[in-house]
Order: sequence, then C-alpha cells, then structure tokens
Amino acid sequence: MAVCVAVIGKDNSPLYIGGIGNDCSTDNELSRQWLVHTALDALEERLATSSSINANSGNSTAHTDLRDLYGYVTNTRIKLVLVTSSTSPSGSNIRDAEVRTALRRLHALYADAICNPFHLPGDQITSVKFDKQVKSLILNNV
Amino acid sequence: MADDIIFELLHSEIINYAKEQSKNNGNKETDLSVVEYIGFAAGYKIMERLTREWPRFKDELDTMKFICTDFWTCIYKKQIDNLRTNHQGVYVLQDNAFRFLTNFSNGHQFLEYAPQFVAYTCGLIRGGLANLCINSVVTAEVQTMPSCKFHINVQRTT
Repeated sequence: MAVCVAVIGKDNSPLYIGGIGNDCSTDNELSRQWLVHTALDALEERLATSSSINANSGNSTAHTDLRDLYGYVTNTRIKLVLVTSSTSPSGSNIRDAEVRTALRRLHALYADAICNPFHLPGDQITSVKFDKQVKSLILNNV
Repeated sequence: MADDIIFELLHSEIINYAKEQSKNNGNKETDLSVVEYIGFAAGYKIMERLTREWPRFKDELDTMKFICTDFWTCIYKKQIDNLRTNHQGVYVLQDNAFRFLTNFSNGHQFLEYAPQFVAYTCGLIRGGLANLCINSVVTAEVQTMPSCKFHINVQRTT
C-alpha cells in the first residue's frame, strides 16, 4: 500500500510531501524526503535518456528493500512521486495499473490545487483540502 | 451560445478595471500590464489541465502547434489560421477573426483601441508557455480589424 506521496516542482524543489504510515521509516518528514530524493535521481536519469520517446509522462521506478518508488513527470515538468511498501497487506504485489491511476488522480488533484487563486506558481502547496484529498487517495487507492 | 458571451463580457470588464485603476493612479495611458498578468496566471493554470492527458511534446514547434490548435480551441472555439516560424525561436500566429475584435467595425476607426483587447491574450500565451518551461516575450500586431498577429519570441538561456 502507498505510504507517501510527493509533488516536486520544475526546479526540483518540493511542493508537497505528505504521507501516512505508522512505521518509523515513513512517519517523519526527513525520512520521506530521503525516499523521494532517491526516486528523483532515477527519474532524472530516465528523463535525460528518453524524454522525447516516452508517450505519456513515463512511469519510472526505483526499489529499496522495503519500498517501491514510482515517478510520473507531467508535460509541465512537475514530478509526482508515489512511495509504496513492497507488498500490499494482502500479500500480492501492487499492480502497475493501480499505481498509474493513482498517479493520474494525483495529477488531477494537483491541477485543481494550483487553480486556487491564492496559490502562487512555484510555492509549496499548503491547501488543507489538497492534503485531505491526497491522504484519502493514499488510503483508498493502492 | 450564452457561455461564449460570458467570457467576452468578463474580458471587457477586466479591461474596464485596468482603465479605472490607471485613471485613479493619474496615468493618462491605460496600464495594460495588469490585464497581461491576469492572462498570464490564467494561461499558466489552464495549461496544467489541458496537457494532463497529452503525450509529451517532442520539441518547441510541437508545443506551438498545440497552442494553435487545442489551446486556442479551448479558449476561443477556433484554431489559429496561420503559424509561421523562422526555426530560431520566433513564431507568428495569425488569427484572421480574433474573437475580441470581431465585434468592432472593420475600418480604421477603432484601431487605437485594439491594443487593450489583445493584451490579455498575449499574457495567456506567455503563461501557457511558461508552464511548459518556455520563456517567451509575446507581442501582438493588429493591422486590419478582425485579424491579429501574435509574435512569440522565445528567450533562450544558454
């Protein structure tokens, strides 16, 4: 299941990092940043080599012992990162399709969030509504 | 269509607002940067939504084609009539019946008012491109009334 979600801006600055989790590796800000940072390197690498070929905002992955990291880059160079624990509670592996829908919905949420007239492009997303919606996405989707 | 006219009315109110502001500040000329900025913000936000399900753009020209077709259709319900480029960062988009100018008489009578009505769109294009990581300067040119040319000058930082 998903434990952490991040939105990274054009210049690789974190716009939003949030997550749920009750184990020590994801429940604090610092370890989340670490996880997301790991994914960014993998993402950048893929972008550099295949930026023109990849159809829609390529899914790229990285793995650590306990976590799977999924990345998604939008046309506007916003990077969305989803961190899941390697196995879902039921024991089966998480399917790519599920991750893709989750990331797509996250992008929709992000597009809504920046339409807030009080949000300045490039600023961190502080919207409570966005936070709530992302958390429910994490809980329900994967 | 009623919902089309709402956009036009809102747009003309934005211009009135800018005029009023400049008058209050004691400027004789209308300060169009406010209108341009409103356009910029709108373009920036719209782009995030429009490109959501879109395949990645191959290059700059591909992005411009997107502006001419889908972006323009979304906002003005028509496509750009002509796109020209020198392949060195200058693009000229020509709209033969620009929506905000079609309600004017075709003569030269109101030509001096035209700049007010294209400022928003200049900002819109600039904002959209900015969100796609293309920094540009957009200017507009109106020679005969309902048609309008937008010059996009891409700023390259190398």
